[in-house]
Amino acid sequence: MSIDENALSGLRSTLEADDYRMAVTETGDNVEVTITAGPAACEDCLVPKPIMRNILHAALGVPEDSIVLVYPADAS
Amino acid sequence: MFEAMLDPTGGPSATATGPRLAARPARLDGLVVGLVANPKKNAEPFLDAVGELLAAEHGTADVVRTRKTSITDPIPPATLDELAQRCDVVLIGVGDCGSCSAAAVADGIAFEAAGVPAAVICTVAFRVSADAMARLQGSPGYTYVTTAHPVAPLDEAGVRERARRALPELVGLLTEAPVPVVAR
Repeated sequence: MSIDENALSGLRSTLEADDYRMAVTETGDNVEVTITAGPAACEDCLVPKPIMRNILHAALGVPEDSIVLVYPADAS
Repeated sequence: MFEAMLDPTGGPSATATGPRLAARPARLDGLVVGLVANPKKNAEPFLDAVGELLAAEHGTADVVRTRKTSITDPIPPATLDELAQRCDVVLIGVGDCGSCSAAAVADGIAFEAAGVPAAVICTVAFRVSADAMARLQGSPGYTYVTTAHPVAPLDEAGVRERARRALPELVGLLTEAPVPVVAR
């Protein structure tokens, strides 16, 4: 995994503008990316998963199908 | 909710050949401008302000307004077709969140494909989302106009000021005129 820290930082800033946070964890061959919502987060403002996977693929340097993406709604 | 959400990208593009833009008019005078607003606060006032400035300073003939009901989804095909028939150019915005910025870029690319020059407005905070959508739509490097984040809390005067600052770049995107660099 070759993380593009600038791209990841840009994504974090974008998420924070909508009051979301992101945690990235390596799990064997996969990368788990968990998005959590702050109190001011607008549910509809988070980009759909296909777009997020595209962004993460570029930022993390891993295939899109190796990214385990967890959105706030997935946890409920 | 997110798993069931409609994929606004329409799936990955087969090829990434760069932006394919509609032919631009040399000037805007006498043209009809479509205003495609999303449901975010101040999107409609922002576009209305730009529309008024275009009429006053560039002689546009009329505007056709539409307001999307979804932040996330692209413009419905029937609405796109109607605007493409009625409008010479379109303004789309304001991308003031992650999903609406991505959807605005998707809409802009769709209007270009329909032969209508489009100018999309997003706030700088959401360039990552907007650029990702452009890549997914096979138009990497798609150009849009940015304004400072956020737009939603602005009062009427603040919205008009933002519209005023964005105007030169919007005109440049919609015409063959070079796009000036302006301070935001």
